[in-house]
Amino acid sequence: MDVNIDGMTATLKQVRKQASAPSEPCCEPVLSAPLEPDHAVDMAKMFKAMGDPIRLRLLSLIAASSATEAGECCVCDLSGSFDLSGPTISYHLKILREAGLVESDRRGTWVYYRAVQENFGRLSAMLAIPGVASVGCS
Amino acid sequence: MSVNATSTRELPVVVDGCARVSVAAEPLDRPSAERLAKLLKAVADPARLQLLSIIHGAVEGEVCVCDLVEPLGLSQPTVSHHLKVLTDAGLLSRERRGTWAYFSVVPEGWQALRALFA
Repeated sequence: MDVNIDGMTATLKQVRKQASAPSEPCCEPVLSAPLEPDHAVDMAKMFKAMGDPIRLRLLSLIAASSATEAGECCVCDLSGSFDLSGPTISYHLKILREAGLVESDRRGTWVYYRAVQENFGRLSAMLAIPGVASVGCS
Repeated sequence: MSVNATSTRELPVVVDGCARVSVAAEPLDRPSAERLAKLLKAVADPARLQLLSIIHGAVEGEVCVCDLVEPLGLSQPTVSHHLKVLTDAGLLSRERRGTWAYFSVVPEGWQALRALFA
């Protein structure tokens, strides 16, 4: 992925400024409230699942295919992109599945994977909004 | 990314879909994945997520370490440890003024995380 982080500082500052402006009635301002503990545990589980280069790449492949017409990705195609054994790929996919980042179903010989959009949305919202603990904000 | 001829012929659509990709919009290459995984690992802890949420949400843009201990209900050394992990990962910056250290979010680090879900 192109992590073009230089030059995006201004954008972020702008976002932060807007998000913390009192006139922005996006949600109940809870600017200094910490993320609720239960919520934090769920989120941490998802981030932990993503905190591995192999899983992150698997996830990026699945997420991308979720956006295509097919809407999913066959495990047979995922394994072709990695120099890893089938069981190793399966192990990493299981962690992503248990964290709630992907879902799968078996059809015939193959298992097909899709990204769980709802949880991607939660992670994204968390990183976007100050006072992320606020419920029902996005 | 190599795709063998057989699977390309049998499953052109899926292979094509799988071969482009990313969590965001661009393909996630191996070096980027390694760099980002480190960042994700740093935030992958409930206490550290709570710390980030407090600091990122602070109107002043920074928070005194003295104000971080109580909301988390953890000991000061534990909080300091978590702050160090986040600082080492490039997500927080630390500035000492007088008795206390003040923490603020490093925009570049935060943006790298956000870009994953863009």
